[in-house]
Amino acid sequence: MARQAERVEPVLHNRLAVLRAERGLSRQELADALGVNYQTIGYLERGEYNPSLDLALRAAEHFGLPVEAVFSRRPFAPMSAQLYAVTPRPGEGRG
Amino acid sequence: MAHSTAHSGITRIDRMSWRTRRIVAVVTLLGLPAMFAWSTFWLGTTVPSLLWGPVSFVLIGMTIVGSFVLYRYVRDRADMPGRRLDERERALRDRAWILSYQVLSAVVVAGAVITGLTVFGFGRPVTLDGGLVNALVLCVGVLLPVLPAAALAWIEPDAVEEA
Repeated sequence: MARQAERVEPVLHNRLAVLRAERGLSRQELADALGVNYQTIGYLERGEYNPSLDLALRAAEHFGLPVEAVFSRRPFAPMSAQLYAVTPRPGEGRG
Repeated sequence: MAHSTAHSGITRIDRMSWRTRRIVAVVTLLGLPAMFAWSTFWLGTTVPSLLWGPVSFVLIGMTIVGSFVLYRYVRDRADMPGRRLDERERALRDRAWILSYQVLSAVVVAGAVITGLTVFGFGRPVTLDGGLVNALVLCVGVLLPVLPAAALAWIEPDAVEEA
């Protein structure tokens, strides 16, 4: 709903949903691990809530990743695209 | 650190949509004042007395049932200090209290402006009789405690389904 999304602060993008799915965690399980309400995980995943630094660090720590791998101010590229991206060799792609 | 909340026993009230919650909040807050307004209007008209009771009952019922629904929806999430909430819930509760204060301020200022206009603008006296005091005391006593719950129900986004 558009009016629900009224917000002043910029959206902080995150990979929580992907990481949670990868590890087969439910929202409740992740919420229990981070000490928050499971609804908060849902709002984070929907981009409707920006976490505090403490919560962001706890989430990153839980997944064993640097915080910038979980949260970003810019939209994340799909993980598959990053994993399998072909780096052009020098000289390639030039006429 | 805040603890998580088990989400077992979720009812239809917990799943109320944002739009429904806003309607319930408005209906709850307007029911009792509307009942007093209706009673005042009825005293000055020839509307049959048989109509007064059912209409008043419906209006006051709006506030009673609405308050129950709002308290049931919000539970203790609007309480200060309340149970341990996580950071999002605390932020939402604080926003609800700020909104409550803004609504209360607006009502008080509007009341003062209307009274001032009536007395000084139109030169008509405003009598603070027993009926008016009774209405004010009841509205303040019933609606003021509901205000934070209504504000929280008003601002909270739709719930997220478990996955």
